[in-house]
Amino acid sequence: MSEKPLAGSRLSRRTWLAAVLILVVIPLTIILGIVVLDDRKYYFISLLIVLYTMIPFALVFEKRKPQARELIVIAVLAAIAVAGRSAFFMLPQFKPVVAIVIIAGVSFGAEAGFLVGATAGFVSNFFFGQGPWTPWQMFCFGIIGFLAGILFQKGLLKKTKLSLCLFGGLATFFVYGGIINFGSVSIFSSQFSWQVLLASYVSGFWFDIVHAAATVLFLFILARPMLEKLDRIKTKYGLIEPGDK
Amino acid sequence: MQDRFSSFHPIVNFTYFAAVLLFGMLFMHPILQAVSLASALVYSIMLNGKKAVTFNLLYMLPLLLITAVLNPVFNHAGVTILFYLHNGNPITLESIVYGVSAACMFVTVIIWFSCYNAVMTSDKFIYLFGKIMPALSLIFSMVLRFVPRYIAQLKVISNAQKCIGRDVSQGTILVRARNGMTILSIMTTWALENAIETADSMKSRGYGLPGRTSFSLIRFDTRDKTIFLIMLGLIAIIVTGAALGENTMRFFPSMKVPDRSPLSFIVYLAYLGLCLLPVIINAVEEIKWKRIASRM
Repeated sequence: MSEKPLAGSRLSRRTWLAAVLILVVIPLTIILGIVVLDDRKYYFISLLIVLYTMIPFALVFEKRKPQARELIVIAVLAAIAVAGRSAFFMLPQFKPVVAIVIIAGVSFGAEAGFLVGATAGFVSNFFFGQGPWTPWQMFCFGIIGFLAGILFQKGLLKKTKLSLCLFGGLATFFVYGGIINFGSVSIFSSQFSWQVLLASYVSGFWFDIVHAAATVLFLFILARPMLEKLDRIKTKYGLIEPGDK
Repeated sequence: MQDRFSSFHPIVNFTYFAAVLLFGMLFMHPILQAVSLASALVYSIMLNGKKAVTFNLLYMLPLLLITAVLNPVFNHAGVTILFYLHNGNPITLESIVYGVSAACMFVTVIIWFSCYNAVMTSDKFIYLFGKIMPALSLIFSMVLRFVPRYIAQLKVISNAQKCIGRDVSQGTILVRARNGMTILSIMTTWALENAIETADSMKSRGYGLPGRTSFSLIRFDTRDKTIFLIMLGLIAIIVTGAALGENTMRFFPSMKVPDRSPLSFIVYLAYLGLCLLPVIINAVEEIKWKRIASRM
């Protein structure tokens, strides 16, 4: 019996498939929304896009029948992220979720990073309340984990504090903040306009700064010990094995 | 009061919420919007009682007003100009009405979600999706279980550390912070080791082998079938109406509501029936129960 490797040394075919689906499916859906639904219903279209992008991950993951160990490691990391989010519930935006998702992506690969992020976003809303924002949070957390995994595999992201903190801060501010603010515009206002979007970015600026700062701080404290622990687990139980073994 | 609709099969619950949420987001027709908003309010109060009333008044009403005001400030389309702002931008009747309509839609969706949270508990969700995506729903259920478990284990570790004077409640602030980090570190190692053990246990019990059975206490019985069919019928009528353009209205450049025909009234009634389905079920069950109780 050989465990399936959690992360290969180079980008696997399934990672490419997911990346291509994201890059091709999103524009297609936007065009479809403009043509068929007459460019109204922004929330509905954007919700569809967000769900679309998550489906390939779910399908690919289900299809390859993951091993129990892999499932459980993802569940543990997501649970730590959820517990971290609930531990800091009194401080708005000051959350360790993105930091843990990035660590997961770096340590176990892009796909695991996405799943940890999306699961943490989804399950934490069982504790905080589901709403139209759930798919957006799932997508944002997931895509940051995915990016962290890809950049690490490509060698652009190192396991150093500086590199991780830099990526964490930028990803939280631009990816999470950028997408979540766009999402809230599509939820709150029915008529899309650049002014509303700009107003949303301006009003969300400080929230995003706090969130980014929290991510940098948590990565600064957590990155090394967490990565060491994960590496130890991987070595001890042979979670990461070349396919031929 | 006990909610009877929650006792139906999860697929009935889920289809209901998927339908009302989707229709609530899509239909801009004033009558349909009013129907959906009113039904959502009634059902949320039925489910959550006093809490729902305060939630709706304290959060939803201000939200409704803010969203309604926001639209005309940014949106200047429409032919009926009421007055001009200081910067020369017109405020139009159409954009005000559209703002109110969009705000209603948003608030309706949020209230429906508050009902969804009360009815669709996580076990129902996992039951439903366990068949379609077994691996992912297993992860969901494990995460849901891990969170309270980790909090309990954190207390155990913290108490053990307290015995040797290394708890977060002991020492100077710097020492406390360091102690806190140590406790979290112990916690994480324990969680990971424990997880591998669980995984090995699962594997030795045959996880992932074919021919697996699953335990569930949920049956799809006659009453579920009846309600499910009624619901599908109502949805079919509403979708037909949507295809014929009955369920929406035009806001820009000028407002235009589609002409009412006998068919539109059927669609309105079907929508009312769909949205109020749980409320009707609850009322009927209540009457039935009262009648049985009075006969005894």
